[in-house]
Amino acid sequence: MAPAKTDTNWSVNYDVLRRERLFKNPPKDHTAYPALADAIKPHVDSFNALFDGSKVLEAGLKDIGTKTFLDGDAETPEQRRARQAEGRRAPKRNKLHVRIKEVFLEKPAIPPTNKFTARNRNIYPSECRERHATYRGKLRARIEYRVNNGDWMESVRELGQVPIMMRTNRCHLEKATPSELVEHKEESEELGGYFIVNGNEKLIRMLIVGKRNYPMAIIRGSFVKRGHTYTKYGVQIRSVRPDQTSQTNVLHYLSDGNVTFRFSWRKNEFLVPVMMILKALAETNDREIFEGIVGSASSEGVNNTFVTDRVELLLRTYKGYNLHSRSSCRAYLGQKFKPVLYVSADMSDEDAGTEFLRRVVLPHLGNHNVSETQDYDKFKLIMFMIRKLYAVVAGDCAPDNPDAVSNQEVLLGGFLYGMILKERLEEWVKSFGPILRDWSMRNHGAKFVDPAFERDFLSKVVKRSNENIGGALEYFLSTGNLVSPTGLDLQQTSGYTVMAEKINFYRFISHFRMIHRGSFFAQLKTTTVRKLLPESWGFLCPVHTPDGSPCGLLNHLAHKCLISTSDIDVSHIPRLLVQLGVRAESSVALDESVTVQLDGRIVGYCSPKQARRIADTLRHWKVEGTHNVPRELEVGYVPNSNGGQYPGLYMFSQAARMFRPVKYLPLDKLDYVGPFEQPFMEIACLTSDLVAGVSTHIEYTPTNILSIVANMTPFSDYNQSPRNMYQCQMSKQTMGTPGTAIDYRTDNKLYRLQTGQTPIVRPPLYNAYGLDNFPNGTNAVVAIISYTGYDMDDAMIINKSSHERGFGHGTIYKTKVHSLDEKDSRRSKSRREVTKIFGFAPGGEIKAEWRNTIDEDGLPHIGARVTEGVPVAAWHNVRYDAASDSYVNVDGITNLVKYKDTEEGFIDSIRIMGAETGVEPCQSLSVKYRVPRKPVIGDKFSSRHGQKGVCSQLWPAVDMPFSESGIQPDLIINPHAFPSRMTIAQMIESMAGKAGALHGHPQDCTPFQFSEENTAADYFGHQLRKAGYNYFGNEPLYSGITGKEFAADIFIGVVHYQRLRHMVNDKFQVRTTGPVNSLTGQPVKGRAKGGGIRVGEMERDSLIAHGAAFILQDRLMNCSDTQRAWICRDCGSFLSTQVAAPGGSSKARNQGAAAAAAKAASSQLGHSVGSNGVVRCRRCAREAVFEDSRAITWEDGEGHRFVGGDNVTVVAVPGVLRYLDVELAAMGIRMKFKVEN
Amino acid sequence: MSREAYQVPSSMGGQTAFGDAGASGLDGPMVAYLCGECNARVSLKRGDQIRCKECGHRVLYKERTKRMVQFEAR
Repeated sequence: MAPAKTDTNWSVNYDVLRRERLFKNPPKDHTAYPALADAIKPHVDSFNALFDGSKVLEAGLKDIGTKTFLDGDAETPEQRRARQAEGRRAPKRNKLHVRIKEVFLEKPAIPPTNKFTARNRNIYPSECRERHATYRGKLRARIEYRVNNGDWMESVRELGQVPIMMRTNRCHLEKATPSELVEHKEESEELGGYFIVNGNEKLIRMLIVGKRNYPMAIIRGSFVKRGHTYTKYGVQIRSVRPDQTSQTNVLHYLSDGNVTFRFSWRKNEFLVPVMMILKALAETNDREIFEGIVGSASSEGVNNTFVTDRVELLLRTYKGYNLHSRSSCRAYLGQKFKPVLYVSADMSDEDAGTEFLRRVVLPHLGNHNVSETQDYDKFKLIMFMIRKLYAVVAGDCAPDNPDAVSNQEVLLGGFLYGMILKERLEEWVKSFGPILRDWSMRNHGAKFVDPAFERDFLSKVVKRSNENIGGALEYFLSTGNLVSPTGLDLQQTSGYTVMAEKINFYRFISHFRMIHRGSFFAQLKTTTVRKLLPESWGFLCPVHTPDGSPCGLLNHLAHKCLISTSDIDVSHIPRLLVQLGVRAESSVALDESVTVQLDGRIVGYCSPKQARRIADTLRHWKVEGTHNVPRELEVGYVPNSNGGQYPGLYMFSQAARMFRPVKYLPLDKLDYVGPFEQPFMEIACLTSDLVAGVSTHIEYTPTNILSIVANMTPFSDYNQSPRNMYQCQMSKQTMGTPGTAIDYRTDNKLYRLQTGQTPIVRPPLYNAYGLDNFPNGTNAVVAIISYTGYDMDDAMIINKSSHERGFGHGTIYKTKVHSLDEKDSRRSKSRREVTKIFGFAPGGEIKAEWRNTIDEDGLPHIGARVTEGVPVAAWHNVRYDAASDSYVNVDGITNLVKYKDTEEGFIDSIRIMGAETGVEPCQSLSVKYRVPRKPVIGDKFSSRHGQKGVCSQLWPAVDMPFSESGIQPDLIINPHAFPSRMTIAQMIESMAGKAGALHGHPQDCTPFQFSEENTAADYFGHQLRKAGYNYFGNEPLYSGITGKEFAADIFIGVVHYQRLRHMVNDKFQVRTTGPVNSLTGQPVKGRAKGGGIRVGEMERDSLIAHGAAFILQDRLMNCSDTQRAWICRDCGSFLSTQVAAPGGSSKARNQGAAAAAAKAASSQLGHSVGSNGVVRCRRCAREAVFEDSRAITWEDGEGHRFVGGDNVTVVAVPGVLRYLDVELAAMGIRMKFKVEN
Repeated sequence: MSREAYQVPSSMGGQTAFGDAGASGLDGPMVAYLCGECNARVSLKRGDQIRCKECGHRVLYKERTKRMVQFEAR
C-alpha cells in the first residue's frame, strides 16, 4: 500500500508529533505547507513562463524579427543625384538576413572540459552557495542567416552562462519533494524564487507599474513643458507586447484643441500628430474619423459641440500635411522614423511606416504579422482615447489616479529578466552590422556573395561580437543596475534586485511578498504616492510597510493576494459579448453608449444599462463556470456617474494582474476579484455589513487583507495601528531560526536563536505557513511592575536564572572567504599561473604558537578558538615547476592570514573550494566562524506588539518577585510602556498565554474574532478562573528581597518574546586615544576603524548650557587635536616662529626662555627640534650686524644670524587652527593672534 | 589502533602533536578531507587539485581536529 498522502491541513494546534515526523521523514510526495509555496509562486511562475507555458521569450524573438544588413557603401545624396541624372539603376547591394530562431537555456552542469566527474554532472544550488559561485546554465541560441534569397543556414551559438532562478523549470530541483530537497542539502521547505549569484541569494523584487492596455486619463502639470500650447491633459496607455515588454503611448491635448501622439523610443521622445497615426493605420476618410469619435449623425453625440468643434479642427489642421491615403501617411512616417528604427537601408518608406506602426503604436493589439483587422483595432482604440481625452478636458470625467492599485499591475521578476534577455539578444544581432562593415573593409570591400563570406561569417563576424549575454544578466542580478539602450519603458535604472537575507524566516519570506513602487518615487517631495488608498484593500497589506523613507513605497502583498503569470484564453469572449448585445456603433454621449473592452481591445459599444447587465451576466457565468468564462477574468464595470471615472466595461485576462479570492453570494462560490473592478463592487467584509439587494460578495475572512507577517501579530485589532507596523518591522529583525540547513549555508552573517519555542498564542495561519520550522522567540513569564529602577524607560530586567537556562541565547555565524588571488578575481587560473598556495613553506620555520590554530595543511583546526590577530591560515609563494608538475617554494617564508574581528569566535567549518574545471589547487577557503552571543546588558528584545526594550540588568533569581504558586517572572517590564502606546493586545496575549500554559493548549489569536459583547478579556479571564487564577490576570506577588506581599496585585502572564539582532557587541564604541586623521590630527570616525563619536554643534551647545567647561575642554581639545605650538607675542603669528640652530653662540641667553624652550621641545608635536633648541620669531628679528654681541644673536639653519624676536611663547591650540593659518597664508591672508597673560 | 580514535596529545611540541613531520618531505603532509557530496575521505597534499577522488565533487570539508579542544568555561 502506498503511504498516505501528506496532510496539508493545519489547525492552531501544536502538532508536536506530526511535525516531528515531518522532520524525521521529509515527505516523499509533496510539501506539507502548500500555502508557503504559493506565497512565492509569482516569482517562480514568471520565470517558468519565459521558456515554457506561454513562452514569453519566443514571442520576444518574433518581435525582434529578421535583421537585414547590406554590404557596400550607402550612396550619398550627390551620388544619387548624379546617378539619377544619368538614368542608371541603383547599384545592387547584397542583403544578409539574420534571425534568432530559438533560444535554449540549459540546466546548470559542469563544463565538458572537466573529465573527472562521470556520474552526476549536475551542479546543484547548494554547491553554488558553498563555493560562492553562481547557479547558472548555458544559454544557446540558434541563429539563421541567408544572403539575398539563398537558403537559410543555421548555427547554434553559445551565449555565456545565465543565472537561473531556484526551483524553476531550468533548475534541477523544480519538482523535488521535501525528501529530495533535504538530500540536496536544501531546506525541506525550500521555496526557490531567487537566484544564487556569487554565493549570495538575490531576487528581483516586484515593482509596481501602470496597468497594461488601459487608457488612463491623466492631469499632470509637467505635460505643459512638452512644448508650446501643450496643456496638462493627457491620455496614457501602457501597451504590453506578448513578450511582456511595454511601450507607453500618450495622447496630449493642445490648448487649441489639437491632439498629438507621444511615445518614447530608445530613451528619446517623439511627437506625432494623432491624425497622421489614424490615417496611417487604416484606409479611412474624414467622415469615418469624425463619426468614429463623435458618433453617427443620428446619435446624441453630434450635439456635443465641444467635441465636434475639436474634431473638426483636428481634421482641418491635418489638411496642412497634404497626406491623404494610408500609404502616403505610412511613407511619411517611415521616412521620418527610418533612422531610429534601425530598419535596413533599402526598405521602402511605406514598409518602414508599417514597421513603425507595428512596433510603436499600441503593440498589444498586433505585434507580429499585423493584420488589417489588428490595425483597425488600433485605429478604434486611438479614437476611443481621443474621446476620453476630450471628456477629461471638458470635465465630463475625472482623471484616473496612477497611484491607486486599481490602475496598477506588477512587474514580475521573471518577466523583467525576460525583457532584459530579449533586449540583449536584439542588441547582439544588431551588433553584427558594424562588425560586418569592418570585415568588408578589411577584406578590400568584400561582398556577402563572396565565398570568403560563408567561411568568415561565423568565425570572424559572429565570433567578434559580444556573445556574453550571461555575463550581462549576472551583472544585472548582482548589482541591480539596468544597463539598457531602450530603458525598457521603466522609470529607474538601479535598485531592481535585493539580497534575500535570511536573518529569520519572516524576513526571508517578506522579500518575496514585497512590492516596490519604484525608486523614482522615493525622491519625490510630494507624499501622495505613499498614501494608503482604499483601492488597496485586500491587495496590499495596510500594516506591513516600513516607517521612515520607504514608507508607503515598499508595500507587501496581502497574504491571499495572487498574481497572474500567464494570459488566459479569452478568444471566445468577444463572441459571447456580441450575443449579449454589444454593437459596433458608438457615440461620444456617454449616456447613449459606453465602451466594452477586452485587454485593451475595443469589442464594441452598448448602452449603460446593457453594460451593467452584461457585467452581471458575465460575473454569474464566470463564478458558475458556464459559457467557458474563466474565473480569473476581471470584469471591470465602471458605471456612469456624474464626473467620475470614465464609464465602460473593461475586461482583463492577462498576466501580471493582482487578484484575490472572495465569496460570490448568489452562488455561494469562490470568485476572483481584481483591483480594477473592486472599487465598483459591493463586497461586504463581515456578515453584519451585508446590505440586502446591494452586496454581491463577502470576504472569506477579514484577515485576508493582512500580509503573512502582519497576520502573526496576536490580536492585532486591539493595538494602536502604528504598533502593528513596528511589529512587522521588528519581527523581520528578530534573531530567529533561518533554517535547518545552516550547515550548508555560507551567508556572510547568519543569526540563530538557540532556544526557539513555538508561541502559545498564535493564529492557525502560523501552522499553515509552517512557521514552527523556523521558531522566532521564546515564551516568557512577564510581570508588569516597576520593580528595581532598572526597568525604567523601555528597559527590561531578565531573570538571571532564565538567562542561565538559555533564554534568548543566540549565535552568529560569519563566513569569510580567505582568497589567495589579489583583486578577488573570479576568473579561474590555469595550473601554471598559480603563485601562492596554502600551507607552511617547506623548510621554513613554523612557530609553535601558529600551530595552536593552524593545522599542518596551513588551514585552521575546526573547533579552534580565535581571537583578534590570531592566524587562521598560512600560505607561501610558489612557482610552477613543469618538470616535476609541482610547485616549488624558494623563499621559505610563511605568510599568515589573520582573524581580524575583535570578538572571539570558533572555527565552525572550513570549505575548500575547487573550480568547475576540477584542475586547480586550493586558492580560496571559505571559513565559517561561530560567535556565541548570550544575552548581555544592552541587547534588544521585543514582544510581538512593537514594544521593544533593552536589557538593563540580569537580576538574580533570589531577588526576583514570586507568586503564590512559586512562579518567578523571566522578564520584568515597566507599566509605563502601556498608557501612551495602547498595546492592549499585549495584555490580552499575556492573559491568553497564561491560560494556554495552565491548560496546556494553544490559543487562537486571529484578529477580529472578539467583539464588544464577547470580549477577549472575558474569554481568557474565564479560562484563568477555571485554572484557579484571578480572572483579570493579576496575582499577588511577593518581593524577592523582603519577602513581603506587594500592596498591589501584579499583572503577570506569558508573552512571546523575540530577541532582536541589534546587540551591544556590534554597536559599542568607545575610545580615549586611537587612530587620527593625518591631516587634521583629529580622531577618525567610524566604529570599525576604532574612531570616536562626534561631539557636534548641538552637543557642544548643551555642554555650554550646562556650564560643563571642563568636559568641553576635554572633548574638543584634549581628546581631539590639541597641540602645543610656538607663537610670537609681538606679531601674533604661529608661522614666523622657528627654531634657532643649536650650538652657535648663546651661552648667556635668557635662562628662563631656554628652560621653557627645552621643556616645550621635549613634549612638542609640531616642531621637531634638538634637545636644546631655542625658538625665535624670525619676523620680529633683525639681521645681526657686526656690532651685535654674540650673546644676543641667534642663527638659523642656513647660518644667517639674527638679533631679537625672542618674545615667543608656547600655547595650546587645536591642530586645525594652525592648519587653517597655513591655508589662509597660502591665500595671502594673515591671521594675527593676541596672546595675553 | 584506528585513526578515528582520540589520541592523547604529547606535550604540544609543535609538529610532534601531529606526528609525521618526516613523511611530508618537500610536498608537505597528506591531510584527509571529506567530500561534500559523497562524504568520502579525500587525502590531499600541497598543491593538489581540489576534487573528490570518488565522485569529482568540488567542495571539500576539513575534518574536525583530533586534537583535544578545551576552553576555559567562563
